[in-house]
Amino acid sequence: MRRKIRVDFDEINVQESVTYILATEFALKPNIVKAQINDDSSGLMIFIVDGEPDVLDNAMKRLKSMGFGVRDLEKHITRDKASCWSCGACISICPTKSFTYDPVTWEVHLDIDTCIACGSCINSCPVKALKLNI
Amino acid sequence: MGVAISPGILAFWRGGNSVSKTYEEINEKIKARKAVVCTAEEVVDLVRKKGVDKVAEEVDVITTGTFGAMCSSGAFLNFGHSTPPIRMTNILLNDVQAYGGLAAVDTYIGATQMTEDPEKGYGGAHVIEDLIKGKDIHLHAWGPGTDCYVRKDIDTYISLEDMNEAYLYNPRNSYQNYGVATNTSDKTIHTYMGKLLPRMKNASYSSAGQLSPLLNDPHCDVIGIGTRIFLGGGEGYVSWQGTQFKTNVEEVNGVPVAGARTLAVIGDMKQMDPYFVRGLDIHGYGISLALGIGIPLPVLNKGVVKRASLSDDELFAEMVDYSLPSGRVPMARYSYAQLRSGKIEYDGKTIRTSSMSSYAGAKKVAAQLKDWIESGEFLLNAPSLMLPREGAVKPLNVREARRCAER
Repeated sequence: MRRKIRVDFDEINVQESVTYILATEFALKPNIVKAQINDDSSGLMIFIVDGEPDVLDNAMKRLKSMGFGVRDLEKHITRDKASCWSCGACISICPTKSFTYDPVTWEVHLDIDTCIACGSCINSCPVKALKLNI
Repeated sequence: MGVAISPGILAFWRGGNSVSKTYEEINEKIKARKAVVCTAEEVVDLVRKKGVDKVAEEVDVITTGTFGAMCSSGAFLNFGHSTPPIRMTNILLNDVQAYGGLAAVDTYIGATQMTEDPEKGYGGAHVIEDLIKGKDIHLHAWGPGTDCYVRKDIDTYISLEDMNEAYLYNPRNSYQNYGVATNTSDKTIHTYMGKLLPRMKNASYSSAGQLSPLLNDPHCDVIGIGTRIFLGGGEGYVSWQGTQFKTNVEEVNGVPVAGARTLAVIGDMKQMDPYFVRGLDIHGYGISLALGIGIPLPVLNKGVVKRASLSDDELFAEMVDYSLPSGRVPMARYSYAQLRSGKIEYDGKTIRTSSMSSYAGAKKVAAQLKDWIESGEFLLNAPSLMLPREGAVKPLNVREARRCAER
């Protein structure tokens, strides 16, 4: 299965390597799509990882035990369908092609599974229908 | 002595073997709910299957549609007089400035006018949208206070229903074709054509192509002043040629490949549907109004069908570099079929494409207009005056200050 994980850290664990633990202890290959660190050493990292469900569960438990905040990104991007007028301004700028035109109706569709929460689309939307919730 | 005239001979008299219908005949059929209507999208396939002649005989009206950002839009509003009355010279609607240079309680609010704080992302277009949604709008106005208009300020709320008249009057809408925007520079730019990524990562187009009103009647043979149209979900009219109306543009398949003709349109806001009238906040640019416009084309002759049957692969637009401040020369030409495929090629490089106007919305406009006509609710209005056959756009030449001062 594929999971999209958000890890929050602070000064207690900012020097630990999350990816090293996932790679060496669980043989997982996380793909980091976002990482940021603030002035006070707090920050967040978002990665996508594929693996067996129980392996992933154990890996997340291990990270939690180290004091990391760990949670799955589910509705990390939301679109207000009533506001969206299906112009498509979000389509050609999305790095993962998560927005597409329906070939029949030409309504704009959003595939949240492929969205990596980069946020590039947010200011492209002229009706402010998109929100990043991370 | 009676002479029987066969329908075939009648048709011959009316212009050879070509089909010829009049507005009156078409309107009679609409009233009887017998008019055959198809959209400009449907006519493409219909002509491929049956040929122009047969379609011209069978179809009475072709409906077109577009739903895009139309900055040159705005509304005339009349608030009615308060007691005591005021001659408003400074007018704010939800903190957006409206024009104070008309009679006491008349105003014009322009779509692109912004609130003083641009961060709010709210402007005249949003006021128009909110009015059509039926919302109460904060009206705050000031006047000089005169013998006949003693009040000096007013602070109240008003809705569309409260107003005497409220109509959109848009000086330039429904552009006949438009450029495709890309960005060759090495930084992201934010334009009215959307967010353009560096190094030509993407390109943005905005015409509804095969559905667009003026691409289906490229020389305005049937669209003229007085043509009744679909405007923002209500009935409107073509009132004049739009500003920057021009005809001296290169054509392919008889259709301009760049921005050419435009329309000024008018329509009662009280009839409008907020689905088709939306305020836009285009990052880095400002406010605009997304508006749905549909124009019915009467099948007066075969030519109308022929021109409307052009499909996206026969209609073209030119790509220009929006990172240049001026002197944007066309870089390449693409069909709307290519643009709509999601990617185009330039110099061996693949560029992703998407639109700044809603094709889904354009389809809805054309379909709704078709519905109105089929159900007998919407009659065609013959133009009282045709649009100019020729037009060119002049630039604004910046004069030297000294020369102006001499005057």
